[in-house]
Amino acid sequence: MANNTTKTAGRNRSVIDRLGGQKFIVLLVVIALFIFFCALSPNFRKYTTFLSILDYSYYITLMAIGVAFPLMTAGVDLSIGTGLICYSLVGGYLITFQGWPTWAGILASIVFGMAIGVLNGCLVALMDLPPFLATLCTCMITRGLGSIIVGRVGISWPAAGTEGGWFRSIFKIQMNGMNIPIGFLWIIIIVIIMTFVLNHTKIGRYTLAIGSNKEATRLSGVNVKFYHIFAYVISGFFAGLAAISYSAIFATVQPGSGAGFELEAIGGAIIGGVSMSGGAGSITGTLAGVFVICLLKTGLPFIGLAANWQQIITGLVLIAAVLVDILKRKKDQA
Amino acid sequence: MKKKVLAVLLSGCMAAGLLAGCGGKKEEASDKSADTKTEDTKEGSDKGGDYNFEVVVKSFQSSYWQAAVQGIKQAEEELGVKTNTTGPNAESDIADQVNMLNNAINKNPDGIALSACDQNSVLDSLQSALDKKIPVVCFDSGVPDAPEGSVYATVVTNNGAAGAIAADHIYETVKDKIANAKKPVRVGEVNQDATSANITERGLGFINRFKELAEKDGKKVAVIGNDYFVGKVENNGDEKSADVIIEVAVPAQTTVELCATEASNIMNKDDTIAMFGSNQVSAEGVLTANQNLSVLGSDPEKNIIAAGFDAGKTIKAAVKDGTLLGAVTQSPLMQGKLSIETLYKICQGETVEDIETDGYWYDSTNMEEADISPNLYD
Repeated sequence: MANNTTKTAGRNRSVIDRLGGQKFIVLLVVIALFIFFCALSPNFRKYTTFLSILDYSYYITLMAIGVAFPLMTAGVDLSIGTGLICYSLVGGYLITFQGWPTWAGILASIVFGMAIGVLNGCLVALMDLPPFLATLCTCMITRGLGSIIVGRVGISWPAAGTEGGWFRSIFKIQMNGMNIPIGFLWIIIIVIIMTFVLNHTKIGRYTLAIGSNKEATRLSGVNVKFYHIFAYVISGFFAGLAAISYSAIFATVQPGSGAGFELEAIGGAIIGGVSMSGGAGSITGTLAGVFVICLLKTGLPFIGLAANWQQIITGLVLIAAVLVDILKRKKDQA
Repeated sequence: MKKKVLAVLLSGCMAAGLLAGCGGKKEEASDKSADTKTEDTKEGSDKGGDYNFEVVVKSFQSSYWQAAVQGIKQAEEELGVKTNTTGPNAESDIADQVNMLNNAINKNPDGIALSACDQNSVLDSLQSALDKKIPVVCFDSGVPDAPEGSVYATVVTNNGAAGAIAADHIYETVKDKIANAKKPVRVGEVNQDATSANITERGLGFINRFKELAEKDGKKVAVIGNDYFVGKVENNGDEKSADVIIEVAVPAQTTVELCATEASNIMNKDDTIAMFGSNQVSAEGVLTANQNLSVLGSDPEKNIIAAGFDAGKTIKAAVKDGTLLGAVTQSPLMQGKLSIETLYKICQGETVEDIETDGYWYDSTNMEEADISPNLYD
């Protein structure tokens, strides 16, 4: 955050700020949580648990990277959760019922995601709908649409080892009988690319600028509407990618589900230092933030906590993260 | 000015939403009227009833409900009645379902078929159905505490017995291992919720039968985990001195990844010898967990023996290749059909009684048989 604004330049920066600010704190939290669960549960220490955490993290990470962009414009995208299921249902439907090849189904999911992104962007940037409301509407629309298109049936993408099932090894390959979570490599590459996009391209810089001060950005001659829409297209594109990762990990995609996924992604981004009031955030921080959520989600059952406690604790962690954000901003303004 | 534009847009958006919603429904409605029309001409007027029935299902989440709807459609055609089926998005959307049930009651239909997500939340609605004298038939899940006289009949799988079938087969396979075990062994069960009657009865049916069988062989059994299930077990043993520990897990929401997390937690433990997933979502959760763990299989000495419930592509494939020992299937198609037939009988003034449909064990050897395969929906 601080490193993305020019405010702190020339000021005496604390050690933590120099190491990356909130990102650094979140990374410490991730490590602390990991050690905590490892210490308390011998089963958590297993390689297979590590694999499961990664498996269940891909779709949340991808959604979070995407939704970071609307968040940084001081907006939000609530349609990614139900959208994910909708795109996955559509892709799977085209493959299993319409005989499309797997790559075409994957492409269809992503294109559909981007189309909903364009719709969100137009509603927000061109028609001035509040982002919360616009994307809440598309959230409902995608929820219903997915069910209607597939006729309310659960969809199974081709299973591993069957014809067209190659995509399941995008995220996990088997080598000498060992599962290798290769998906994490793709996540790292995507994080690097998107960090570059955010900090060194017009798309990223203007996204942050719109979030900081939209009017000033417009007055300095930037095509604000275009870049504002583009932030939502990025979000939709990543929801499409998330749909692929979800379909690759889980056997059946059920219409009607998906509500709530977006909150985990948005929560992850905010924990990672993306400011809900716009203008600040980082992709590496988002990745770390998502892992706080995923570790809590996977770890708490392992130490014998009833499932609902995980929701309470995730909520508390989120409050803490937002408080840190507010305190920092106050300090910066002082 | 800006506010006005916003207001106009908002109302436009809502209107569009409404239209979209109506569009979908209209299509469905015309579908159905087409069905009944052809039936009317075929069967003439010998059927007394031009009855309208409302059906409220738990969700359309799993293909299980597709089969039930198929049965409802069959009954619709055979009897020349009209039905309208609604249901919430997920089986955990309890409030949504109550809302749908109230809407159904307000339409004053000739009868309502209900599969309740939560056995307590629907009690008020059932009372108002009773006040309006609308007969209700419950299917799939019963409502044990329903107001006297509101529910005319219940069409359910004998869930307790169905759960027990799974326990019988798993116990048979791991019997020797339990007998020879020097240390306590663990049996895991994942239930998607602790609120609906069918899931809880099924879960308890499994637990009680497994406990009974193990105790008959002189073993001490303790049931641990989810408070609701543990509280329902009679004469529960102490975990510390038990030979067999039955661990019951219930996730916070009925999603497959949360079921999978709960399942992998149990399957990760060294002393786990068997797993049971008590419906399609939780059985798929067990299978998802196994993708990384690779501990399930058919050799009780090396593998964890697992059984599932219901069908669906994934579970069927796992039963076929031996990842699952087998699974218990119900007859959703029959249940949907029977509940409409029962409503029809009520309207005709006949007396009706509760119907119990069977659960059937299926494994790789009998999946293709004629009395099993029609119930194994994709």
